[in-house]
Amino acid sequence: MTDTLTGTPPRDDAAAPAPPRPVCTRRTDRRWTRSKVALLVLGIVLGLLTIFPLLWMVSGSFKTAAEVNSATLLPSAPTLDNYRYVFTEVPFLRYMLNSFFISATITVLALWFHSMAAYALARLKFRGRDTIFLLIFSTLLVSLPVILIPTFVVVRALGLVDSYAGLIVPAIFNAFGIFLLRQFYVSLPAELEEAALVDGASYWRIYRSVILPLSKPILSALAVFFFLANWNAFVWPLTITSDPDLRVVQLGIATFQQQYVGDWNYVLAAATVAALPTLLIFFFFQRQIVESIKNAGFK
Amino acid sequence: MTLTQNPPARVAPAAPHRPRAGGLGRNWLGYLFISPALVLFLVFIGGPFVVAIGLSLFRWDMLTPPEFVGADNFRLLFEDPTLLQAFGNTFVFALASVVTHVVGALLLALAANRVAGRVVSYFVRTAVFFPFIISWAAVALLWQYMLDPAFGLVNHYIERLGLTPPDWFLDPSWALPAIIGIDFWHTLGFTFIIMLAGLQTVPQQLVEAARTDGANRRQVFWNVTVPMMSPTLFFATVITFIGAFQIFDPVQIITSGGPDDATTTLVMYLYEQGFQAFQIGYASTVAIVVFVVIMLVTLLQFWASRKWVYQQ
Repeated sequence: MTDTLTGTPPRDDAAAPAPPRPVCTRRTDRRWTRSKVALLVLGIVLGLLTIFPLLWMVSGSFKTAAEVNSATLLPSAPTLDNYRYVFTEVPFLRYMLNSFFISATITVLALWFHSMAAYALARLKFRGRDTIFLLIFSTLLVSLPVILIPTFVVVRALGLVDSYAGLIVPAIFNAFGIFLLRQFYVSLPAELEEAALVDGASYWRIYRSVILPLSKPILSALAVFFFLANWNAFVWPLTITSDPDLRVVQLGIATFQQQYVGDWNYVLAAATVAALPTLLIFFFFQRQIVESIKNAGFK
Repeated sequence: MTLTQNPPARVAPAAPHRPRAGGLGRNWLGYLFISPALVLFLVFIGGPFVVAIGLSLFRWDMLTPPEFVGADNFRLLFEDPTLLQAFGNTFVFALASVVTHVVGALLLALAANRVAGRVVSYFVRTAVFFPFIISWAAVALLWQYMLDPAFGLVNHYIERLGLTPPDWFLDPSWALPAIIGIDFWHTLGFTFIIMLAGLQTVPQQLVEAARTDGANRRQVFWNVTVPMMSPTLFFATVITFIGAFQIFDPVQIITSGGPDDATTTLVMYLYEQGFQAFQIGYASTVAIVVFVVIMLVTLLQFWASRKWVYQQ
C-alpha cells in the first residue's frame, strides 16, 4: 500500500527541477541529485510507515465487526455504529470528562505551584535552598512506578483512595517542571527585578507582574506537556481507583478491551476516541510540545 | 551539581543593596513561595522514598500489622529466580532501547535535516514524533490489533511472504522483542526531537571548513558532527536508559509480564509483588534495587562521559 502512495512524490519532484535556478552560486544543494530524490522517497516511506498503524486504527474503527478482521485498507461500508456503541454501552463520556477535569486541575495547580517554587529557587535567598533543589533534582531519576507502592501506602493513610483528590493531589508535583522553570528564571536578567524592587514592589507583585508574564512561552509549553501527560496517565489512576465513576479514559479503554476481547471494531473506536483529544492538542500546540522537549536538555 | 553553582553567583551581587532585615524577610518569603510544591514533594515523592526504605525492613500484607524482619527481604533477593529473570529482561530491554533509540534517532534527524522541500521535511518530522503523544493505553490496544496472531495485519503480510509468523505476545521468545519494537515506535519521536535540537548546535562553519579541506561525508560525520553532538548523544543515552529501565505501562497492559515471565521487567515484578502478592516489604526492596541500579548506571555514564563527550 505504501508503495502505491509513495510512487507519486518522486514524480512530483521530477517536475520540480524544471524551473532550475541558476546553479552558479556555491549553493549547489539546490539541485536534484539522485541521492536527494532517494532521501526524499525514503523520508516519505518512513513517515508513512510510522503513522500507518494510527491510520489503520482509525480505519478499523469505522469497519463492521465482519470486516475489522480482514486486511482491507478502507472500510467498504463506513459505519458510525462502533462509536455509537462505545458511547451508549459504556459511560465513555463520563470517563472523558473525568480525564479532562483531572488533567486540567493538575495542570493549573502544577503551573502555579511550580512557577512559584522555581522563582524562589532561582531568585530568592533562603536557608537550605540549594539542598532543596538538589533533593528535587535527584528525583528526576525515578518515575512513578518505582515508588508506586509506598506512594499508595501514603495516600491510603491520608484516606484519599478512590477520590478525585487522590487522583489529583499526588500527581501535581513534577520535578522536571520545577527544573525547567528554574533554569528559565536563572537566565532572566536580574535588572528587571531590581528595577521593580527600587520602585517599591513586593516580591509577590514582582512574581505576578514581572516574572509570570515573562514566562508565558515556557508556561504554555509546560501546560501542554502537563495536560498531555495526565490525560495519557494510566498507572496512577489504575492504582488509586476502583470506583467506575472515577474511571479515567485511558483506564476506560483498557477495561473496555478486557470486556470486549476480540471485538476490535469497538475497541478501536474507543482507542480512537481516547487518542483524539491528544491529536487535536498536538496540531494546535505542536510548537509548545517540541519546545518543552528541547528545553529539557538545552536550557 | 554544577547546576546549583549558578544561582548563588547570580543572586550574590544583588545582596549588598539590601539591608540585613531584608535578607530575613526574603528568607521567610522564600519558604512561602516554595512551600506548596515542597509539601507535595515531601508527602508524595520524598516521603514515599523514606517509607520504601522503612518498608523494606518489614513483612507486610497491608491487612495485618507489619512484622519487622531486618535484612531478610534483601537476602531473599538473591534467592529469587523470577527477580533474576526480571533483571535480565529489564537489562535487555534497556540496552536495546538505548542503542536503537539513540542510533535510530540520530540517523533520522540527520536525514530529516537534509530532506529537501519544506513540506516533506515537515511531514517526516511530524510523522516520527506523532506516536509519542498517544497514550500507552491506546498504543497497546493498537499494537495488539496489529500483531493479533489470527487476524493481525502484520502476520497477514508475513504469511503472504510465505513465512510462518510468530504468535508474538503468546510466544516467550517473541514477546519481549515485540514490546521492544512497540516501544521503539512509540518513544523514538522523543529522542528524535532531542537529536534535531542537538544538530542545530553543530556549527555550520566547522562542517564547511572540513569540507573545503577535502573531508568526505563520512569523515565530516565522524570527526565533526559526532564530537560536536556528543553532549546531546550523552544526554539522550542517559535519559533513554533511565526511562527504559523503568518500563512498565506497555508490559502491564499488553502481557502483564507473561508468557512465562518472558516480559516481566523489574517494575512489573515489583508491582505484582506489591499489589497482587501483597508482599509490600519485598516489593519495596525491589524498588530500592531499581533505584540503586539506575543511580549507579547514571553515575557510571557521567564518569565515562568525561572520556568521550566533547566539552566546549
